[in-house]
Amino acid sequence: MLEIKSGTAGGTSPAGVKPLFDVGNISKRFGGIHAVRSVSFEVVEGTVFAIIGPNGAGKSTLLNLLSGNYQVDSGSLTFDGVNLAGKPAYERARLGIARTFQKIRLFKQLTVLENVVAGFHIHRRIPVLEYIWPLQAAEADRCRWREEALELLTFVGLKDRADVVAGSLAYGQQRLLEIARALATRPRLFMLDEPAAGLNNAEADFLLERLDMLRKRRMTVVLVEHNMELVMNVADRIYVLEAGQQLFVGSPAEVQNDPAVIAAYLGEELH
Amino acid sequence: MLDLLPILAQQIINGLVLGSIYVLATLGLTLIFGVLGQINFAHADFMTLGAFAAYFVARASGGNYLIAIVAALLVGALLGLVVNQAVFSLLRGQDETRPLVATIGVSVLLENAALAFLGPVPYTFDSPYSSQVIRAAGMYFTMQSVLVMFIAVLAVGSLYAFLKLTFVGKALRALSQDQEAAGLMGINKKALIALTFVVGSAFAGLAGAMLGPILVLTPFAGATVIVKCFAIVIIGGFGNVEGTIVAGLMIGLIESFTTQMLSPGMSDIVVFGILLLTLAVRPTGLIAERREENV
Amino acid sequence: MVDPMTLSNTRSARGTSRWLGLLTCVAVIVVLPLIFRDAYWRGIITICAINILLAIGLDFIFGFAGQLSLGHSAFAGIGAYTSTVLVTALGANFWVALVCGVVCAGLAGVLLSAFAVRLKGHYLAIASLGFAVITYQILVNWISVTQGPLGIYGIPPPPSISIPGLQTINFSNHQAFFYLVSAFALLTYVLLRNLTRSPIGDALTAVREDEISAASLGIKGTKWKMMAFGIGCAIAGLAGCFYASFIGTLVPDAFFITESFMILAMVVIGGRGNLWGAVLGAVLLTVVPELLRGIGDFRLVAYGLALTLVALFLPGGLSGVLIQSARRFNGSVTRAKSETHA
Repeated sequence: MLEIKSGTAGGTSPAGVKPLFDVGNISKRFGGIHAVRSVSFEVVEGTVFAIIGPNGAGKSTLLNLLSGNYQVDSGSLTFDGVNLAGKPAYERARLGIARTFQKIRLFKQLTVLENVVAGFHIHRRIPVLEYIWPLQAAEADRCRWREEALELLTFVGLKDRADVVAGSLAYGQQRLLEIARALATRPRLFMLDEPAAGLNNAEADFLLERLDMLRKRRMTVVLVEHNMELVMNVADRIYVLEAGQQLFVGSPAEVQNDPAVIAAYLGEELH
Repeated sequence: MLDLLPILAQQIINGLVLGSIYVLATLGLTLIFGVLGQINFAHADFMTLGAFAAYFVARASGGNYLIAIVAALLVGALLGLVVNQAVFSLLRGQDETRPLVATIGVSVLLENAALAFLGPVPYTFDSPYSSQVIRAAGMYFTMQSVLVMFIAVLAVGSLYAFLKLTFVGKALRALSQDQEAAGLMGINKKALIALTFVVGSAFAGLAGAMLGPILVLTPFAGATVIVKCFAIVIIGGFGNVEGTIVAGLMIGLIESFTTQMLSPGMSDIVVFGILLLTLAVRPTGLIAERREENV
Repeated sequence: MVDPMTLSNTRSARGTSRWLGLLTCVAVIVVLPLIFRDAYWRGIITICAINILLAIGLDFIFGFAGQLSLGHSAFAGIGAYTSTVLVTALGANFWVALVCGVVCAGLAGVLLSAFAVRLKGHYLAIASLGFAVITYQILVNWISVTQGPLGIYGIPPPPSISIPGLQTINFSNHQAFFYLVSAFALLTYVLLRNLTRSPIGDALTAVREDEISAASLGIKGTKWKMMAFGIGCAIAGLAGCFYASFIGTLVPDAFFITESFMILAMVVIGGRGNLWGAVLGAVLLTVVPELLRGIGDFRLVAYGLALTLVALFLPGGLSGVLIQSARRFNGSVTRAKSETHA
């Protein structure tokens, strides 16, 4: 089931508490372009940390650097005390970092249920050889995963579509399926890359509810988003990125009132 | 020591001649991959059929090799057009291995059709120039070699001029760099891809006409060369014209030297060893730029 | 929640149908040499069993792990030559040599995969082709070991096995040899099928469908691709060992890249990603060319045409077509049932 982790809610790290995710001065260049430059922040366990910024600010690149799809050129990345430098994406997933993608990356030929079950693979303990002539334990594992997968699908509202081919789902439902699949890995940190992109208002509201429920269960979330309403309603702390660099970091109220942020990005939209 | 010089030079010339043919054969693949991102396996058979076209036209015209070359060009171009329309247009935007497998099917089809009509016995393709020998500076070349190099330089030069100077050529280069942007700029992708196929396959036919007198001419002649062409495409960098030229000449030289110093079979092993090494160390090719994967 | 009663019912139903399927296969295998009593057709069905091994091995690599390997027959060659040289030159026991052949082929597959594991699509395909060409050239040129193009002659069949109390099984008998190869083929099929229906199959499918999101689920693409290659190529090695023993002579040309394309055609035409499609393709492409011997060289044109058409229009192969028809049939049956109940 969804991991229930205790953690502190609210903005700043209490004194002496080590943050779950510690990003120290990371940078990334692509050829001549400095996509991310000296970015630092801390993510406290059990909080929702949002990254916002104008298009092209480098938000997705930043997320890719955190998840291991790109490697940093310089700087430090520490997750729960473990140094992430050089660790590829699959290793970080095994440490407890899950993510969704901006461009939906589902297993389109598989069914909805099979997609989520794939997420449970990370918990496999039985060695490969035992599957050649499966014993009871192996079969029991798979059954249990299917049941848990159905629970996750219930959480995202897709239970009755379990046997449908993933590629035939509506766009909004595909996004939710990606979330369910990522949650199957029972992550400690869940990163979402523009989950509300392309969703209509009703779908975005549903997503907001889900994120809120995750937050109440003390899941640590890093959220890259454009949808301001969603961000302001669910984030504990917001990091504003512009041209690869930090523009501001603070609580939603602080971000809304900072003149630099308003001038560069939010403008009239928020009031 | 000085005695070695003419032998060395001879090997270099042989290598360059062979390399020129490889360049001609491979340029088509490079161009097609550049704009389409696909490999045409049947390219081998365009070469074979180009060679046969040249053979029959040369026979029919009483030994006119030059007309035979033109015929080979046309046959290649036509085959390219047909395969593009029949296979690649249909499968646009699909999973990238499907067109490759389809072209393997076309290749098998063409080879066996050729086998059924032409038989397995090798044809002796004698270019009238093969027997004319020139002697210069202690080395021997056949007129054929000179002709091959001349045509290769002409063809590659024209292609280069086309790509750099004409509008269509520039459109082609734009297309190979960024499909989406090129489309937005009003470039007619379909027509351009078809043109690339025609030009690339014409080059294959031309290479076949050059290879005919050198190789054992059977329906499987192209197949023996094509695998090396793939190696060249990779070593030079997929879609990279300059890289193909350099890599093609390099492979021609390597093959010439290893055949002389070791054995013909070993040259294949050396060439493919280099291929696997390139893939392991620098998959985008020795000369191409690196590109990070877009997530 | 799924009703546990239904779950166990479906599980036992699936188990029963699997045993039934297995028994049918055994029955077919037993009966075939009794139907075909002449040496020629017994040879064809034996080659068919060998081709089934080759096809399911490639399906595991291509259909399940999504790796387009264009040089599969090279691994059969490695298995064939390793076991044959051990038997003919070093006098090794057939079964020991067989294991060595299988292991060598598997290791070669892992080696290729190690080179090619970061490559996608075209690069991998060409790397595998390059590997196959190198292997072929080694077989041709390493004359001291492989006898080169002249080949190795007089390869003996597996030694007879005497079962105490019963008779001796003599493998120069075509019927006995057929049973031997078929037994191995069936066993391999079952084991592979178990693997693919397990979380291992999930991992392979994830890697095939989208390696990047598979990584985000903790699935290490390179590890699974190497495993797929190791197992698939080991199976090819097994096929090669039997081939050498059956034909009695071994030449490098038997493992030229054109043979690889034939195996690929079996997998593509039969339909990849479900194992039985590969079996279907192997059977079709072994038997149909024999039936078409009348039209001479054009039968090979037919296989090229079939491959092209299937790749163009039937991405799921023949098994895909059959599955879709079955679904449509089931759908109409269910509809009819619900209509009568309404």
